[in-house]
Amino acid sequence: MPIHEEHLIRPENLVTHEQLVIDGVDVSGHWSTFIESRVVTDYNEALQDEIAALPGGEQIHRCWQCGSCTNSCTVNAINPDFNPRYWIYLIRMGMESELLRDRDIIWQCVSCNKCTYACPRDVFPEGVMKATAHWLELKGHTPKSPSMHFDEEFAGQVFATGRIEEGRIIRGFFARTGQALMQDWLVEMVKRLLRHLPVKLIVTMGLANVLKPRTRGWGRARAAIEEYVHEREQVQRRALGLDALVKAAASELDQPARGAQP
Amino acid sequence: MSKPTLVVGGGPAGLAAAQALASVGRDCILVDKADRLGGAPILSGYAKLVPSGEWAKDAIGGMVERVAANPRIDVRLNTTVSAFDGNPGAFRATLASGDQLDVGAAILCTGFTHFDSVNKPEWGFGTFPDVVTTTQVEQMISSGQGVRCPSDGRKPERVAILLCVGSRDRQIGREWCSKVCCTVSANLAMEIREELPDCHVYIYYMDIRTFGLYETKYYWRSQEEFKVKYIKARIAEVTSDGKRIIVKGEDTLVKRPITIPFDMVVHAIGMDPNVDNKQLAQVFGIDLESHGYIDRGNTYSASGHSSRPGVFVAGAATGPETIDDSIAQGSAAAIASLGYTAVAV
Repeated sequence: MPIHEEHLIRPENLVTHEQLVIDGVDVSGHWSTFIESRVVTDYNEALQDEIAALPGGEQIHRCWQCGSCTNSCTVNAINPDFNPRYWIYLIRMGMESELLRDRDIIWQCVSCNKCTYACPRDVFPEGVMKATAHWLELKGHTPKSPSMHFDEEFAGQVFATGRIEEGRIIRGFFARTGQALMQDWLVEMVKRLLRHLPVKLIVTMGLANVLKPRTRGWGRARAAIEEYVHEREQVQRRALGLDALVKAAASELDQPARGAQP
Repeated sequence: MSKPTLVVGGGPAGLAAAQALASVGRDCILVDKADRLGGAPILSGYAKLVPSGEWAKDAIGGMVERVAANPRIDVRLNTTVSAFDGNPGAFRATLASGDQLDVGAAILCTGFTHFDSVNKPEWGFGTFPDVVTTTQVEQMISSGQGVRCPSDGRKPERVAILLCVGSRDRQIGREWCSKVCCTVSANLAMEIREELPDCHVYIYYMDIRTFGLYETKYYWRSQEEFKVKYIKARIAEVTSDGKRIIVKGEDTLVKRPITIPFDMVVHAIGMDPNVDNKQLAQVFGIDLESHGYIDRGNTYSASGHSSRPGVFVAGAATGPETIDDSIAQGSAAAIASLGYTAVAV
C-alpha cells in the first residue's frame, strides 16, 4: 500500500514483513507495512545526571530552551543539524535514543564559545557539548576522537617524564590514529628545520628523542598526578554506571577501557 | 462624627481595608459569609506564601488577630449583605441576619472562587485519586502530612504540574491569566523537591508568567537549585494504565507526542470570578466587567472605585490578584473611601 509523504517518516520506523500471514490472510510485502510509533513513552532521569557528572556539563539543568546557543553557533551556521539547544533538551528529558541519532555530529563543536557568551543562564553550552562528546566516547557510542588521542598522548608523556617532546608526540599521535609518519608537510618542515636551526639545538632535540629525559624528582609528582587522574576517571565511570569498567581500568591504567555498553 | 464603612469580605484585602480604616480612627463593620476571617489563604489552608515564604496561618493569621482585637472593627461572621440602598455618604445596608447598618461607604473585598477542575474532565480530576489541585498540595504541606499520593499514601517519585488549568482556555470560557499559578507552582515544586529530594517534578506550561521579581526567586531558582524541569506542552489527556497516571500531549520542542507515566498530577487551578458576583452586582447596584469580575472605575482619578460612587472594590474581586497586591488595594480603597464617610463640621 503506498504511503503518502513517505519522506516524512524515518526509514527505520517503516516496518514491512516479507512473509506474513494473519488469521489465514496473506499480508506479505507491502500489505503488512506499518509505521512504528514515535511517541516518547518515558523520561530517563539518569541521562542529565550523567552529563552533569562530566566536566563542562554541570550547569545543564539551568537551560530554559531560549535557543541563544544554537542561534550564535558557528557550526550551526554551516550545518543546521548541529543544534546544541535541541541536544540539551534531549539530555534533560532523557531521550537517549534521539541523542544517539546525532552521535556523528555532536563532536563537531569547534569550541568558539560564542554560545558561552550568548547564554542568558550560564548553562555553559560549549562545556555541555564537550561533556556530551566525552559521554558518547565513554559509553562506547563513538570511537575515540583524534583530539582525545592527542590529549592522551600528550598527557601520557607529561605524566611519564614531566615534560614533552614534540617529535615523540607527533609520532605517538600518528601511530594512534593510523597515520603515516612520512607526510609531505612534515617532511618539508623537518627539512627546513634542519636547514635553519642551530646545530646544537638539533642535536639536543635528537638526543631527547632517543634518551627520553625526565624532569628531576618527577617520581613523586607523577604518583600524585596519576592517583588524581585515576580517582577522577573512577568518579566519572561510576556516575555513568560503568562500574564494571572501573575494575578493568584499575588493572590496566595505561589502556583506558573503551567500547563499553551500559 | 463620621459614619462607619462597610467592608465585605475578610480576606487579605478586607483585613487590610479594615485595619487601614481603624488606623485613621474610622469605625468599620467587617462582614464575612464564612465562620472565620482570613479568606482563601486561611479557608483553603495555603502553606507558605509567595513571596515572603511565611506560613499563611502566621502571616494572614496575624492580620486576622490584629483586626479581631481592634475595637473600631465590628466583625460580623456567617452573614451576607442582602440589600444596599441610599446614596454616597448615607447608605443603609441590610444583612441576611436582619441587622440594618447605616454606613457612609462600602468596600467590596469579595475575592475569587478557585476553579473547579471537574470542569476539565480530560485532565482526570475526580476520575483518578492521584490527580489533585495546587490547593490540595498546599493543604498536604500546611497540614504537616507531606506530599503523598491520595490513592495509597505513597511518596510520589514523579510529579507533573499542569499549568493554566481553568485559565487561558476559551473552551471553558476562561480567557484570563490567573496571574499567580506559575509562581505558586514553581514554589510548590521547590517545596516538593525539598521534602522529597528523590521525587522528580515536571511543569507543563504554555508560557511561564513568573512576573517581576518572581523570575529569579521562583522560575530561576526552581531550575537552578531544585532542578525542576519545565516542558512546553499543553496536555491533551490524563489517563491511567491501572498503576500510574499517564499524561498525554505533545512535547512542542521535539515535535513529538508524549505519553509519560506519573505518580501524581497536580492541576495549577486558576481564579474564577467569585460565584456570588452576579448577586453582589445586583445587591450593590454595580457593574461586572466582561469576564465576570467586579468592574473598576477610572484608576487615574482615585483607586478602588467601582461603577457606583461610594462603593469601592479591592483585591481579587476585580480580577486575579496576588495576596500582596490585594493587601495594597485594600489599604488604597480604604483611603479612597474616607471622603465619603467624613461628615462636615
